[in-house]
Amino acid sequence: MTEETGEQLSGRINNGNLVGLNPARVMLHGPTKLLVDTYYWHSPNKGIVAGYAPTERDVEDHFGVFRGVDQIEAFALASIVSCGSFLECRKLKCLPDGLKEKFVPAFVSIGQVNFHYYLELGDRFISIANIKSYKWRQMVCDGRIYKAPKDLDLNAYFADFTEERLLNYDISKDFKLVAELFDITGRAILIELFKKNEE
Amino acid sequence: MERQEILDGLLEVLRTVRTIDPARLEGVTEETDFLTDLNTPSTELINIAAKVEHKFGIEFEDDDIDHMGSKVKDIIDLILAVEERGKNA
Repeated sequence: MTEETGEQLSGRINNGNLVGLNPARVMLHGPTKLLVDTYYWHSPNKGIVAGYAPTERDVEDHFGVFRGVDQIEAFALASIVSCGSFLECRKLKCLPDGLKEKFVPAFVSIGQVNFHYYLELGDRFISIANIKSYKWRQMVCDGRIYKAPKDLDLNAYFADFTEERLLNYDISKDFKLVAELFDITGRAILIELFKKNEE
Repeated sequence: MERQEILDGLLEVLRTVRTIDPARLEGVTEETDFLTDLNTPSTELINIAAKVEHKFGIEFEDDDIDHMGSKVKDIIDLILAVEERGKNA
């Protein structure tokens, strides 16, 4: 993954998608809270497939298992934060750094979440998210988390992925369903209003 | 549109909002506060705004939603302002 210049990133935001970009360029979250490391597929108005593999720190003091709440956070980062930031940058014609000066990303609500399996240290998983709505900087996503098969080249696997396959979760049976998530909702709140609410 | 007409339309919208107790809609006035009087979760206000857009055939901007107050009169003022904006566009 190469670091893009501001001009390259601007071109990507206006005419491309997130695939291949370092997620740290998009999100405010620091290294220990950034639970996305790769974007495999992205259609700006439809959804995303993003991945992560839990580290030692992620499973520390938790039986070597990646916590359910962190799965939800990882899904939210992959979906509402990544996709929302991308669309807002496109709308405001700015880079993600510009958003950081204006907005705070906030969880608004979580619908139903059903856990089916678990993830351990080093297990690579993918979040598949479809965008149900995006309005007034608030995004709602549904989706699933799957444990990826060992040794599968996920970049190659998702290179020809489609919106139709996204909506149908049409992936190989070698992916193991870990969680289903519904109505994961987040909003970029103006910093000035966020601080006003603290007063 | 007159304020009373908007209030009536708004009440129709509010009757479809799952998180609002219909009993609390009796006696709603322009001074009624969604958060403190109707116990509406603050996160529900955006959903209400979306329904209001549909009901009144208007379109709110990000800025409208950012600065929307929580009283019934604030929503009515906003609807009127957006209508006016549409006429001047």
